[in-house]
Amino acid sequence: MKKHSPIRLGILIALTLLGAWVCFFPNSFGTASLFDFAKDPPVPPADSFDLDGFSRIPVLRGGRVKPIDSVARNTLLVLRNKRTALDADEEKVPALEWFVRVLFAPDQADQLKTFLIDHDQVLGLMGKKLASDGKHFSYAELEPHLAEIESSAREAGQLEQEERDSFQQNVIELYRGLLLYRKLKNTLTPPPVPSESSDMLDEIGVAEVFFDPDKDSDRTAEYKRFRVLTGVIAEQPSLIEMGSSEFAKVVFFLDHYSRANMWSEFFPIPPEANDPLEKWLAVGQSLVGEEPLDSQEKRNMDPRAFISTLRELVALSPDELRKRITAIRETQKMNPTALFASQYAEAIKLRREVDPIIGLYEKLGISYRANDFATFNATVAHLRELATERAGEAGSTLHFEKAYNGFEPFYRSSLAYVLVFIIACCSWLAATYSNSVGKSDSTAKMLRDTAYVLTGIVLLSHTFGLFGRMYIEGRPPVTNLYSSALFIGWGAVLLCFATEKYLRLGVASAMGSFIGAGSLVIAYNLSLDSSLNPTGDTMEMMRAVLDSNFWLATHVVIITIGYSTTFLAGFLGIAYVFYHLKSALFGKSEGKLKKTLESMIFGITCFSLLFSLVGTVLGGIWADQSWGRFWGWDAKENGALLIVIWNALLLHARFSGIAKTRGLAAIAIFGNVVTAWSWFGTNMLGVGLHSYGFMDKAFNYLMAFILSQLAIIALAYFPAFVKMLIKLASKLISSPPPNETRT
Amino acid sequence: MSSESKPKKGKSSLAKRRALFSWLIPLANLRITLALLSFSMVLIFVATLEQVEIGIRGAQAKYFESLLGIWHYPEQFWGGEFLNPVPIPIPGGWLLGGLLIINLTAAYVTRFQWTVKKFGIQLIHLGIIMLLVGQLVTQAIQEESRMQINKGESSNYIERFHGVELALTDVTDPSRETVVSIPQELLEKGGSISSGDLPFEVTVKSFGPNCDFDAVSSKDQREGSSKEVDQGVGHSANLSIKPKSEDYSSEAMNFGHLVFELSDETGSLGTWLALAHPAGNHWWKESPKLADLAFQPIRHKGKLWGVTLRAKREYLPYSIELLGIANEFYQGTETPFNFESDIMIKMEGNETRRALVYMNTPLRHDGKTFYQFQMNNAADYTVFQVIRNPSWLVPYLACIIVSIGLLWQFGFHLVRFLRKNSLQKA
Repeated sequence: MKKHSPIRLGILIALTLLGAWVCFFPNSFGTASLFDFAKDPPVPPADSFDLDGFSRIPVLRGGRVKPIDSVARNTLLVLRNKRTALDADEEKVPALEWFVRVLFAPDQADQLKTFLIDHDQVLGLMGKKLASDGKHFSYAELEPHLAEIESSAREAGQLEQEERDSFQQNVIELYRGLLLYRKLKNTLTPPPVPSESSDMLDEIGVAEVFFDPDKDSDRTAEYKRFRVLTGVIAEQPSLIEMGSSEFAKVVFFLDHYSRANMWSEFFPIPPEANDPLEKWLAVGQSLVGEEPLDSQEKRNMDPRAFISTLRELVALSPDELRKRITAIRETQKMNPTALFASQYAEAIKLRREVDPIIGLYEKLGISYRANDFATFNATVAHLRELATERAGEAGSTLHFEKAYNGFEPFYRSSLAYVLVFIIACCSWLAATYSNSVGKSDSTAKMLRDTAYVLTGIVLLSHTFGLFGRMYIEGRPPVTNLYSSALFIGWGAVLLCFATEKYLRLGVASAMGSFIGAGSLVIAYNLSLDSSLNPTGDTMEMMRAVLDSNFWLATHVVIITIGYSTTFLAGFLGIAYVFYHLKSALFGKSEGKLKKTLESMIFGITCFSLLFSLVGTVLGGIWADQSWGRFWGWDAKENGALLIVIWNALLLHARFSGIAKTRGLAAIAIFGNVVTAWSWFGTNMLGVGLHSYGFMDKAFNYLMAFILSQLAIIALAYFPAFVKMLIKLASKLISSPPPNETRT
Repeated sequence: MSSESKPKKGKSSLAKRRALFSWLIPLANLRITLALLSFSMVLIFVATLEQVEIGIRGAQAKYFESLLGIWHYPEQFWGGEFLNPVPIPIPGGWLLGGLLIINLTAAYVTRFQWTVKKFGIQLIHLGIIMLLVGQLVTQAIQEESRMQINKGESSNYIERFHGVELALTDVTDPSRETVVSIPQELLEKGGSISSGDLPFEVTVKSFGPNCDFDAVSSKDQREGSSKEVDQGVGHSANLSIKPKSEDYSSEAMNFGHLVFELSDETGSLGTWLALAHPAGNHWWKESPKLADLAFQPIRHKGKLWGVTLRAKREYLPYSIELLGIANEFYQGTETPFNFESDIMIKMEGNETRRALVYMNTPLRHDGKTFYQFQMNNAADYTVFQVIRNPSWLVPYLACIIVSIGLLWQFGFHLVRFLRKNSLQKA
């Protein structure tokens, strides 16, 4: 690199800095930069809401403790495929601002455009048109059509997933989105009692217990009154009887709060101090515990036995009661009477306080609606401290995750990969130009060096992104289809970077950056696929059989490297085909590059075979451990085997001399088809034990990709085909007509 | 120097071998290898597609465990209506596997150089032969069963997933049972079956691996052979059966059915219907009318016999007691993170052993492996999948051999590459 002239060196350094800026520095591609990981959280502002502090409060959603920031981003991603909502003037509203309004000022949130509907028939269901009404809608706009949407979705839900058409699929997604939105609104505020039961409310005299905005400062007043009611019964178990008004009130609120649990999208209350299971709680759970069975089972209770059991339980001392409850839940799993009595007894006797976290969230809501910055910000600080402390070990990655969310390492990397690809292509243009005019190719050389150095920088940011996920999840890099796409790109780029170190041709840089950008785009689209990723969080929890870091780290990682090297060989094959076409077009003989590409394809396929074989065999061992057979002809297993066989076939074709450079390239390109099938196609079949990543939307993309690869293979043989045609034609012309030869 | 003399030695031994086994040379052709590998790709691809239609077990039987499978292009694909009727022969697993083994072995003898440098290649291919042979053997001898245990209870038998038997149990003496079981193969053959342990003769009227059954209101509405039934549940519940072919898909529910007549020296005792429940005959107890299908009582000459058609059973020389189960989910999700059974194995001579069986951690005992298969938390029972596969070690050995071969070969290349690099730098 020292050999460059000062101007060229300057361009190299400038482009490198541009890449580093895209990848790491503060810019508009992400809301956070690399520096934010090291910095302390910002000081709360005095003249506005401390939303940054708010976004760092830990909650539990999808089985994982995460900052509110992640919940806000992920839910909006599910609803609108974007990290922003739109207000009435089509101005962008950041996820966090949207989220705080959903929680604390739902009337305002209902006016924000939160839902993306781009299916014409779903729009038609509501009498709307894409051209005039757009595709972004607020909850307020959709509310009048809830009944139609629900009935269509229910109808579609009767069908198996594979049998649904696109309208049915889309209407189900919209319905799920609406449900998610309503659950978010009700997570901190239990939904009101249905109006038709208002007569009953008067009858049993519970109206005065309910929250009254005129008299009470916040909802905790209602919860405290409920505790007073249960306190009376806890003191006098004899009040537990049919017809007792005290007991009727308690039963009413127990049911009311239990129902609220179903409307909780996440768990805001960290584990209680004495809970060995460290369970996070919804508001309703904190008030009355959790229903031990589906509410429907209440119909199967024996009312008399229920009353007597409950009375007996409430009369016990708290310690004895705890033991009895554990015993009931362990031994009487089929007995709704005993089970529901255990929940009621827990709510009456054991849950005596209102959790301070509930009060703090209430305070946040009130100060937000009153535009009281000082109280809001002070409450945020208090709530954050308390919740993080109670979250314990699970709260240790919150700061990192918040910065990681804003950093968007994969978005930045994909942009930088595009830059590398452009530079590598420019280097070829420069080389062709200097070749044709006979000048030295120092500019091309500079560009190749730039592409190489830049690849290294993007690789750093891509690697940082992967490690960040691993740190947050505490898992090996590949845990689902989304992360496999991240990893396949990463592996291919790493190999290209190493290849380019020895063979500075610009080819490996170009192919590496192409695969890198492509895989990140695929990953982004996978993260939007609601059938793969219903919570919008790509760091989801793993089902039991996959829950093994050892096998994830060995089998899954190795097999994924096998995918990525097979793709790399395929893309080098494509590079050769275009080189071959170029040579044929300009009538030049193929130079050194031909041999170089051939040996690169060969070398990388050796790697592919190694990794895919070892990965497949490790998979067999894992399968033997968990399913009891080494090999079961499962769709995903077969897919992996196809890659192994295809790589072996390529190597043997070269050993035997049957395939030369062009043949090898064609075989390698078909390897892309085989790998794409194994990676995605097998998931589309919806059969087998591995179908944890079922998907149907990508089918057309897969078909298009396969066709494109076949077309490129055909192109490889096109020059030879044309040559043959010309030969044939010339033969026909030059050879004399048959009847003349006779004479 | 020594490294140069070795290859020559290897080559001369190769020439000798080629002379000795010249008839093997054509079989070792690499073109054959390429063709076989290509056909394997087709086979695997087609068999994977077919799983959608006929299930893994069906595809396995039709393609992998056969010499030739006939495939029809799927009707729902592009151009399916025209291409579907054309039968396409696909070379099956037995054929391709066998030919690959022959091809590889021939290559071993007539083409491979038995030298240190190529030792890795030989190991890799040896491992692959072992994998192939191991899989062929496994498919031939592996047996899959299940074992269901209720919490607090013990079980001392396992039931096959596929295949049934007619069990006749003498329960006259409550302290000991005598079981005579008639395997499916005999039932399929039909005719009359008698045994010294049975006081009567069993005549098979009809038998099949799967059927639809329905309780009808009168005897006249019964179909087929079920019309003849005049004893037991088939008679009292007025069951009508409609035979079906066996379903090979993974969620298949195959109800085996048997209509049989019992007779002794005095003549016919009557005709019974027996049905086998695919998930185990204890499930019949869920419906009161059919509960007796698990055990239809027959009184004969002062003795009480129970008769049932059940999944083929194997009794174990030990029993397993279920102490407890755990079925845990990530909070707020439907994603399980643990299925676990706490068990006690009770062996002969009062010897016991406690074990935990959970995901990725099966129990290996007495040549059998017990895997956590299903679990019902509310009803407190667990189901193990039990597999007896004497050749389970083969793939492990093969993997070790292949790994050593790969390391050997790559080590050679790496050393050569580094040497070349250092030479260039020097």
